[in-house]
Amino acid sequence: MQRRLQTQLALFAGLCGFAAVNLVPIIWTVLTSIKQPVDAFSIPPKLIFAPTLEFHYQVWVEKQFWRFLINSVIISVCTVCISVSIGTMAAYGISRMRSVASRGMLFGLLVMRMFPHILLAIPFFVLAHFLNLINTYTAMVLALTAINQPFTIWLMRSFFLDVPGELYEAAVIDGANAWQVFARVALPIVRPGLWVTALFSLLLSYNEFLFALILTGPDTKTLPVAIAEYGAEDISYWSLSAAAAIGIMLPIVAFMMMLQRHLVRGVAFGAVKG
Amino acid sequence: MPTERWWLFLLPSGLILSSVMLYPLAYAFYLSLLNYDLGSGSHAFIGLGNYATLLTDQRFWSSLGQTLLIAVAAVGLEFCLGLTIAYGLYRLTFGVRTLNLLMFLPHIITPVVAALFLRWIFVGRWGLLSSILISIGIFPPDWLGSPNWARLTVVLADSWQFTPFMILVLYAGLNTVDQSQIEAAQIDGIGIWGLLFRIMMPAIKPLIVFVLAVRFMDAFRIFDTIYVLTSGGPGTATETITMYTYALAFRLLEIGKASALGVLILIILATLTGLLIAVAYRRERGVL
Repeated sequence: MQRRLQTQLALFAGLCGFAAVNLVPIIWTVLTSIKQPVDAFSIPPKLIFAPTLEFHYQVWVEKQFWRFLINSVIISVCTVCISVSIGTMAAYGISRMRSVASRGMLFGLLVMRMFPHILLAIPFFVLAHFLNLINTYTAMVLALTAINQPFTIWLMRSFFLDVPGELYEAAVIDGANAWQVFARVALPIVRPGLWVTALFSLLLSYNEFLFALILTGPDTKTLPVAIAEYGAEDISYWSLSAAAAIGIMLPIVAFMMMLQRHLVRGVAFGAVKG
Repeated sequence: MPTERWWLFLLPSGLILSSVMLYPLAYAFYLSLLNYDLGSGSHAFIGLGNYATLLTDQRFWSSLGQTLLIAVAAVGLEFCLGLTIAYGLYRLTFGVRTLNLLMFLPHIITPVVAALFLRWIFVGRWGLLSSILISIGIFPPDWLGSPNWARLTVVLADSWQFTPFMILVLYAGLNTVDQSQIEAAQIDGIGIWGLLFRIMMPAIKPLIVFVLAVRFMDAFRIFDTIYVLTSGGPGTATETITMYTYALAFRLLEIGKASALGVLILIILATLTGLLIAVAYRRERGVL
């Protein structure tokens, strides 16, 4: 018993150590974001200093990062609304098809999920260029909706599979039409799954970088593009970019708290990083 | 019940997918057959000319090599670390949930932001790592500025972001292993590592294959991390195939050649996906 407890404690300490090393880059950035440049550039690194929130204020208000936040929010929310509603319908359709056909569809979706994004980015850019859609929300929302579809459908389908088939039959006998069976019988049962899918989809859109890099412009730039440009600049802006990076991370920490029970399902289907 | 009606539900999604994904894809195939310079707008049909140019292009082969090197090294490291940690969590009897959540954080952060966090650790002179080394009297290498260190840094950066993914999925997998099998092996006096390698790993083999294949394919497309950390440099030391395509398309505006390169990536990835499906679906409902 004594030995068992000892090994458990050693194991716990080891895993805590690993987690701590993993968190160093995040903690270091948090510290940098509340340090004066004098302290940030000291060797050896300073752990004790007078903290300040000045840089958070500067970057979000004076450097107008709030505008990129608004762009990110508009694009992500529009994407989620469109993507999850049509994806849910498709997932329902697939879940009710015969297995051969549905397997074919799911395979096709998996193939689409594996498309190299850079290959799609080129025609997107050329088409958006000719349609005058560069630097519009429309182009970004369309692109993100399309690349979100395979993931959304796969994930929603896994929730629809839990709906017992007898319920559908009973509803049909009661005289419900196809749409009513979907909206009144299936949807209420998968509602929790709907929220999970929406949150993952939101995360995917919020994090997306490549398409945002080529399709957005000065008016529609999203947070990842803004921070990538800003962070790569002169290192004397270090505290400012660190403050922006931390600000971008905070909503994600909130997402993670909400999704913790569902992380495995979502992550296995390729959420977070598509 | 009229099963024919269910396809109506596929219509909206099908329309979006065919107009925003399949049509652009077909368009990219078409573009790959052109000598198309977006800067001047000149384009001429040259058949498979772009492919021929690429296959004799030194930079293509070197970027393919970089991609394979980085992907294999990163996925290998992630898997070994991930399996060890997941097994540790499996054997731990308390505090697992909190630890899991803490460890997961690097994976869920915006990739660009994660790469910046690491940039600030590795950046020459002022980065945390270098300043610690300098203060204990060691002269640090230029992490992002010399080819081999830069490659190592990129591998570490990818591992930082994706080991949590491995941990989460493998931990979930280990928990599905049949308890009676484990107990039987323990009665036979199997050691803790024997239990992992001889009982548990074979039991979750389909999951392992699946997660390795998915990770490898994603690592093969690595872009965000490298864009922020090294932007392919120094020189072209960390230029992966996606970075090269990006440079061709959006810096040099050689749309035709870039599309051809994209198609080549697709072909390589399609081969890999085929292998994944063959292995993962051999056992029906084996994974997920």
